[in-house]
Amino acid sequence: MLTTAHSQASLNIDIISVILPQLIIAFGIALALLLVAWKRSQRTIALFTGAVMLIALAANFSLLTIQPTAVTQLLKVDSYSAFAFSLVLISALVSLHMSHQFLKAHIEVHDEYYLLLMLLVLGAGILVTSNHFASLFLGFELLSISLVGLVGYHRESNFSVESGFKYLVLSATASSFMLLGIAFIYSVTGNMSFDANVPNEIYHQQNLRLFFEVGILLFISGIAFKLSIAPFHFWTPDVYQGAPTPVTLLMATISKVAMFVVLVKCVVAQNYLLYDNVQLLLMILAVASMLMGNILALKQQNLKRLIGYSSIAHMGYLLIVVIVLSGESLSFTWQSVLFYLSAYVVANLSIFMVMAAIQSQCSSKVGQLLHYKEELLLSDLRGLFWRIPSHALLVILAVLSLAGIPLTMGFIGKFYILSQATIAHAWWLIVTLVIGSGIGLAYYLPIIFTLFEKEDCTEFKANKRAIIEHVLVYSFIIIGLVLGIFPDVVSQFIVSNPM
Amino acid sequence: MTLTFIMLVLLFTGALAWFSENRWQGSAKWLALIVLALLATVFTIFVISYDQPFENLQVLTRVSWIQTFNIEYSIALDQLSIVLITLTWLLAIICVLVSWQEIKQKAGFYYFNLLATIAGIIGVFVAVDMFLFFFFWEVMLLPMTAIIAIWGHEKRHFAALKFFIFTQVSSLLMLVAIIATGYFHLLATGELSFHYLDWLALDMPLSLTQYLMLGFFIAFAVKLPSVPVHSWLPDAHTQAPTAGSVLLAGVLLKTGAYGLIRFVIFLFPQASMQFAPIAATLAVISIVYGAKMAFAQQDFKRLVAYSSISHMGFVMLALFAFNSIAFQGAIITMIAHGLSSAALFSMAGMIYLRIHSRNLTDMGGFWQSAPRMGGFALAFAGAAFGLPGLANFIGEFFSLVGVFQVMPTFAIIAALGLIGSAIYGMVLFQSSFQGTAKQEILDLSHRELLICSSLFLMLLVIGLYPNLLLNFSFGV
Repeated sequence: MLTTAHSQASLNIDIISVILPQLIIAFGIALALLLVAWKRSQRTIALFTGAVMLIALAANFSLLTIQPTAVTQLLKVDSYSAFAFSLVLISALVSLHMSHQFLKAHIEVHDEYYLLLMLLVLGAGILVTSNHFASLFLGFELLSISLVGLVGYHRESNFSVESGFKYLVLSATASSFMLLGIAFIYSVTGNMSFDANVPNEIYHQQNLRLFFEVGILLFISGIAFKLSIAPFHFWTPDVYQGAPTPVTLLMATISKVAMFVVLVKCVVAQNYLLYDNVQLLLMILAVASMLMGNILALKQQNLKRLIGYSSIAHMGYLLIVVIVLSGESLSFTWQSVLFYLSAYVVANLSIFMVMAAIQSQCSSKVGQLLHYKEELLLSDLRGLFWRIPSHALLVILAVLSLAGIPLTMGFIGKFYILSQATIAHAWWLIVTLVIGSGIGLAYYLPIIFTLFEKEDCTEFKANKRAIIEHVLVYSFIIIGLVLGIFPDVVSQFIVSNPM
Repeated sequence: MTLTFIMLVLLFTGALAWFSENRWQGSAKWLALIVLALLATVFTIFVISYDQPFENLQVLTRVSWIQTFNIEYSIALDQLSIVLITLTWLLAIICVLVSWQEIKQKAGFYYFNLLATIAGIIGVFVAVDMFLFFFFWEVMLLPMTAIIAIWGHEKRHFAALKFFIFTQVSSLLMLVAIIATGYFHLLATGELSFHYLDWLALDMPLSLTQYLMLGFFIAFAVKLPSVPVHSWLPDAHTQAPTAGSVLLAGVLLKTGAYGLIRFVIFLFPQASMQFAPIAATLAVISIVYGAKMAFAQQDFKRLVAYSSISHMGFVMLALFAFNSIAFQGAIITMIAHGLSSAALFSMAGMIYLRIHSRNLTDMGGFWQSAPRMGGFALAFAGAAFGLPGLANFIGEFFSLVGVFQVMPTFAIIAALGLIGSAIYGMVLFQSSFQGTAKQEILDLSHRELLICSSLFLMLLVIGLYPNLLLNFSFGV
């Protein structure tokens, strides 16, 4: 791994223990390659990947209360990054289960899929701990490239090539924008570390300042692409729709969590908000996302597209926290961001779990070939509540959470955001948020209404044999409810870092 | 503890009813009825045996809930909430009775939603931590929306969506006001607090409270409802099943009035005083507009729905008169309207069950075949237009007398609404029960007779002996 190579001098047991989860994943990738050479089996590689991730999760658990520790110049592990990485690992585990269900129907052995999945997790792990533009870029590319592979993975699908290419081209463009932005920032500050002090002269020298601000603009647009913040959102619905459902889940959770955490880290460390123009830029992005995302989602019939548009709106809501961020209440900011992200992740995991279940059940087997159900329409959920109440309940909880209704985590998340914005007197952002959530209800509620409609499709019945699926569904119902009513359970894990 | 217990039992019974209906058909309604009657008794015994007077808020429970924001689970009772909860119990039992024959599909889940709504409404009336209040405020919406969306009439989805969006958006404004007040408490005292009693002790400048008050006011005005944010109500009331309409008109609208009293007028007295002319204007417009629109309706339930807007306008007008007589009038109007609109909606449900139409043009001459039903319909229409001897008359009379002392012009215009109510009341009665007989219908069954007579009796008792309610001071 790059970090270890750079820091042989200071490599000791403490530092290893701090980045142990990332190291476990990296080591797991190497082992998985050997495993492929030794035995090619769908089941073995899936189990192996799951085991690696579980061990990493366990190793990560002890880091939740860690003091901020710098691992070379490149990485810095603190309790926030550890929390974010646990979110990443949990989403990856759920996605792994879904992927296995999706892939095992094929005759081919898809080892490379699992490798890409682990690479993606590694990229996210580097991103959330990065403390340097170089490691940020490394993580960013690792994440993007493995996602490109995954998005286009389902070759037989009609949209696979289109969405894969769309993602590849736009992702590469975004990375090059970001790289140029980083270069501009570096040219002014002369340092690539997040901890670098931005020299004061920048405020006074018009040329330097312009350069610096353009750098930030390019840098943020690169990140905004990944977060699908308007106006960098155009790829979102198409790629969400075209990618296999487990991959869409990865895009909706892991990539969003990792990118947002790194954005907050960067903005916090470098005090970008001191520049009025940056604040204005973020404000425009937030308002545009909140409105565009919600309005465009209104008439969607395809569930994945709908979730894609709603994710645009959610990133807009979350951006408010970054805009109103202030030096005094950093730990509160982190708590808000991480809580909102966990609410968002739990809701997405829940909804995708049911979507994947419906897809795998409704797929028809023609001879040896499996005809995979690609399009997942709103009408596929019709009457679900009367057939499989547990799955429907999960969807209801997830949708309510996304809409921010009490009893769910999403509401507490929204409460955090509104608190932050109220303290900062950001009334216009609040007004946009209220309008946005009002519009949002107009597409969230019909999903729930569809669940209750008269049953006419008897295609999808509960699969009695899928024990893991049932355990997952019930545990996510319980997680959603308990964390929604007693949010302290989560908040206590987001321990504040003594500065 | 008792109140928490009651709410939990309601939820638990709902789940049990849902489960048992799948096993033994027809068990859910009996279960709901028996448990509601039992819990109402428990509540009554609890209130009577409580040793402190309820003139001021008696905090019953106060435990920490979400430590991050210093949010507490805190519930309290006073005379206002006791009266409204009593109304809730009564109408809840009526709701189960009117759904007896009407709800055949998915009955178990229906009773779960009904009981959950009632639990939420009771929560709204007792919560004194503002976060908890907001929590219940939203939670009671969900099962109510489900009742409209699943068991409603032909345009149910649209109505449910409209109902939910109106209340949700306005309540988000209230949430912002709640958070702002909480953080003002933090600035002023150094401690974040969402507790109502802490807020009462807080001295806030008028420049701030006028905005905070507005946040609360909008949320409650939507629920009340007042013109110009009333348009969800005719749709929701018309499309909901009978019990849904009864619960909406009878109790849910009252949560708006309750909020206005407790969280606007008592919490921000100065700001509300300043705002009174605007609120009173909106109220008067609601009264006249509601009456006018009711007169023009062809749909039985829609007519009653518009009359609700008119009646709740009286409540708002009286509240913003800042006069103790008007205040008493407002509370009696709330109770009276709860009973009379519930009665009219039940009547609409009974007719719908017989002729499968809500349209007044399909009705006519029912008196010949169903004289007992006609008698009750006449009495309830009379109650709605303020016939002396029935509860609504006392409420509207007190409101107008009180308002007249402060704002005579408003009182005079509002009195026009009474004329309007007489017109639409008679239109309603004449077009359904008089004229040439279009159809023959069955007269009231024993169950329906019980519903009608108990509601009528309550209206009559309050109308003849208003001291039953006037004896209470309701915190003024």
